[in-house]
Amino acid sequence: MDTGAIWIIATASLVAANAAILGSFLIMRKMTMLADAISHAVLPGIVIAYFISGSRASLPVSAGAAVSGILATFLIQTLTKKMKMQEDASIGLSFTFLFAIGVVLISYFGKDIDLDQDCVLYGEIAYVALDVWKINDVSIGPRQFWILVINLIIVVGFVYLFYQRLVLTTFDPAYAASLGISIVFWLYALMGGVSLTTVLSFEAVGAILVVGFFAGLPATAYLLSNNFKQMIFIAVGLGVVASILGYFLAAWVNGSVAGAMSVIVGIEFFVALAVSKLGKFRIQPNHEKVIKPTLGKT
Amino acid sequence: MAIIEEVKNPVLEVHSLTVVYNKQPAIWNVDFTLPKGQIIGIMGPNGSGKSTLLKAIMGVVDANIGYVKVFDQEIEEVRRKVSYVPQRQSVDWDFPAQVKDVVAMGRFATRGILSRLNAEDKEIVQESLKKVGMEAFANRQIAQLSGGQQQRVFIARALAQRAELYLMDEPFAGVDASTEESIIELLNEMRNHGKTLIVVHHDLYTASDYFDWVVLLNTRLVASGPVAKVFTPEILAEAYGSRLTTLSKVADLLAERRFPMRHK
Ligand SMILES: Nc1ncnc2c1ncn2[C@@H]1O[C@H](COP(=O)(O)OP(=O)(O)OP(=O)(O)O)[C@@H](O)[C@H]1O
Ligand SMILES: [Mg+2]
Repeated sequence: MDTGAIWIIATASLVAANAAILGSFLIMRKMTMLADAISHAVLPGIVIAYFISGSRASLPVSAGAAVSGILATFLIQTLTKKMKMQEDASIGLSFTFLFAIGVVLISYFGKDIDLDQDCVLYGEIAYVALDVWKINDVSIGPRQFWILVINLIIVVGFVYLFYQRLVLTTFDPAYAASLGISIVFWLYALMGGVSLTTVLSFEAVGAILVVGFFAGLPATAYLLSNNFKQMIFIAVGLGVVASILGYFLAAWVNGSVAGAMSVIVGIEFFVALAVSKLGKFRIQPNHEKVIKPTLGKT
Repeated sequence: MAIIEEVKNPVLEVHSLTVVYNKQPAIWNVDFTLPKGQIIGIMGPNGSGKSTLLKAIMGVVDANIGYVKVFDQEIEEVRRKVSYVPQRQSVDWDFPAQVKDVVAMGRFATRGILSRLNAEDKEIVQESLKKVGMEAFANRQIAQLSGGQQQRVFIARALAQRAELYLMDEPFAGVDASTEESIIELLNEMRNHGKTLIVVHHDLYTASDYFDWVVLLNTRLVASGPVAKVFTPEILAEAYGSRLTTLSKVADLLAERRFPMRHK
């Protein structure tokens, strides 16, 4: 296997890990669609930043994307919480609206800039290995890879440090609020992480695979685990497996790498579904005796 | 005639509290004070604002008008001494967690943002589970609990907070008679240790046995006072509307209890 293949798999695995960790919180909050929304809604920010800065340099483009990601979150929150619209309707409306603005902008500026919807949606992971970072003329690997390493450090640090707060506001927001914990703060912190990950990932793997990772990996892990921490680790593991198998599937059929990885994520889900459903047919022994409560007598 | 009894050195004061959702008031201009060391029932028909009242006291929802004082202070100052038990249906019990994880959440109330649980916390979690008779279920998936067991896990989580004042939203909803009895025994024991318990409850028949004090709510405050004073046919009719046949039965029952000699 050549080094290019290893870099592609490693880069995809990093995207998968970031999306799996954050997506696990999103799925328990029934907010997976928000990741989908953000991944599409970043488009106008990208196009505008691209047009203003005149380059595809990561920093301005990422900044532009992050701004539109947060804008989308804010728009959706306002529509649901303040305007009392249905959540799915607000999400659907916000992201198609912002994405459409992006599409219009691309076609308007299209002749001046080298950017198209396809690259935003499907990414260019096959070319990841070509864009290397050099320190003193020594190549240290693809630029995308290192950006995603930083992304992973941020995501893991955030979740590790604030794990209890994130779980509490996810499982029982009213109780969390009664302890004086700000639900809104942790929601935006989480969405900030989702925006960052989407933005830093889209260039490599495109919006479709990012969403596939955000939604598919935690949904599969949920079927296979009964402990939330374990679920996060399983989701990451499934992501790495999908990156490896997806790469070889693409090589085998000579097709899109991101597409093949998405397909593997889907296959993983259906296999897990079958396994968990079959598992339920087994008769489970009931170990704990049902005891009468002895409240207040202790 | 409405009865709104004020108390000296109240554990909780509510002043002109008003919460409006979508232009519809859920509670309107509610004023009362509650005594320390009692079991207090919050009662009223569905949609009368009982849950909203508890949430507004805890600052879970913002009051549009009015303010609340707990232990004579702002709620922010005394959160550690107050424990809130939400309605059981308000969370997704399919969350992948074990019983002990949920109860442990009560320990984080008193902990800093970055802290981890220590051995003492784990002991308190076990002890709280024991108090509600769920110690054998510590490692059980919460998705596999019955409704009554879920309710007891929520109570254990509140106990783990080691608070002084407890606000419980319908702890008796969907539990069987023997669990209800053991929960009320636990509440009595807590009261005897000087804790104050504010409990949303629906059953008028048991209310006079369970509570020392009752707050009757119907968007506005109908009454607040010792249970014997509040549970008169007129006041109950004002809270629930006069058509209920239950009400006259409850009143009869109460009269019977108050003057038992006449029937002997
Ligand atoms: N989040 C909300 N948004 C809009 N309206 C709400 C919200 N929560 C409650 N309400 C409304 O406020 C009123 C009071 O609701 P609340 O839940 O406080 O009543 P309750 O006395 O607890 O009722 P129940 O006995 O059914 O639990 C109801 O009319 C309800 O429809
Ligand atoms: Mg209620």
